[in-house]
Amino acid sequence: MRMPGMVLLIYLVFILQTSLFPWLVPAAFSERLIPHFTFVIIMYAALYHSRHSALLLGVGFGMLQDVVFRGHLLGLHAYTMGLIAYFAGLLLGGRRLTMLSALAITTMASLLYDLAIYYVYEVFRFTSDPLAFVLQKQIFPSLFLQLVFALAVYIPMRRWFEGMTRARPKPSSE
Amino acid sequence: MISFILFIAVIGYSISSRAGLTVPEKFLRDTTAYVQQWFYKPAGYIAGLFQDIGNLRSVYEENEQLRMTAAAYAREKVEYNLIQQQNERLQAKLNFTEEQKKMYDYKYLIAQVVAVSPDAFNRTMTINLGTREGLRERMAVTTEDGMIGFVSEVSELTSTVMPITSLNDEESGISVTVLGKQNQSFGILSGYNSETEHMLMTKIAANDPIKKHDIVITSGLGNIYPRGMVIGKVDSIQDSDIGLTRTANIKLSANFDHLNEVFVVQTPGASQ
Repeated sequence: MRMPGMVLLIYLVFILQTSLFPWLVPAAFSERLIPHFTFVIIMYAALYHSRHSALLLGVGFGMLQDVVFRGHLLGLHAYTMGLIAYFAGLLLGGRRLTMLSALAITTMASLLYDLAIYYVYEVFRFTSDPLAFVLQKQIFPSLFLQLVFALAVYIPMRRWFEGMTRARPKPSSE
Repeated sequence: MISFILFIAVIGYSISSRAGLTVPEKFLRDTTAYVQQWFYKPAGYIAGLFQDIGNLRSVYEENEQLRMTAAAYAREKVEYNLIQQQNERLQAKLNFTEEQKKMYDYKYLIAQVVAVSPDAFNRTMTINLGTREGLRERMAVTTEDGMIGFVSEVSELTSTVMPITSLNDEESGISVTVLGKQNQSFGILSGYNSETEHMLMTKIAANDPIKKHDIVITSGLGNIYPRGMVIGKVDSIQDSDIGLTRTANIKLSANFDHLNEVFVVQTPGASQ
């Protein structure tokens, strides 16, 4: 599979997480479980493919989310997704990661992503909820959701991305 | 560093100028919503089916209640017709202009929700009506239970609904009043407290007759939002920080989860 297939897959995941997923969550939890499935896949792209493609995917799909669900700010998701995925790829990309460490890194990155979004909204005063409340109400439950999704797609995603990297003798990064 | 500057610039741009959407934006939104609706609707139907099976038992009780409501409705309908006729006669006598007569002649458009935003602080929804159906920005959106928000962005085929729970203090400014005391009560909806799950109604005068359990509705003052949209019930009232005005906590009556069909309220002034 090549890059277009990848983009199509992430697009499909984006569609599913915005349209199908809200129906799978019980109504009482819909404020608590916020899916970031596209971000999880982009993190895998950063760890197992290259940080440049992760940056592009992050900015692209973040921007898609910003434009489709335009609310207070434009470009917030594009910026945070792209930057976090890029730095994860810069620090850890290319190394041989075990499954456990890849999951841990993805979870940490999701936490960072949620915190970044919270702080930007707080700085611009779009939310006045205290951090402890937000953590307890929404970030930690969502983190488990992200972890479960990361676990579910780990093996197919890793095969796919490593296959993409191996298909080309010269890796694009450096 | 450059990316950070760029980010600040983009955010600054999006905060300051909100004059419509550009063409690529519109295209992206419409195509995505087109795909999203293939999933959202069937999922909603299936979820609804399970819910219906679960609710089967309470149907009889609900039926009984509805019959009583229908009887009350029939009585009130007669009264309403009389009052409406009288109203029309008086309006004709007082030489109301056409515009004034049609001011409260709202049209309700049924819209399907297509997708929900995966962002906890920005829970916008996409609906499948756009400028083609005559939607404009700032039209109110309600369900059967009460107002849920307003249209914040429109493109050709779809539009974005900003829920009132995602508003911050500066943005909302929806003027509200209390059902039954429309002439004496006045307040402004400002901000949602997600810890207590209450909407705040501020700037209530000290001599306002507002009470606990009153039903809060939009007042329609300012002619941006329609009047008479149910917001919720008053849960408690306290003095504001300075003490000159009072603040009420309102329990919202609309349910924001698993929305399928919503109504967009088209005011006659906006439809032209």
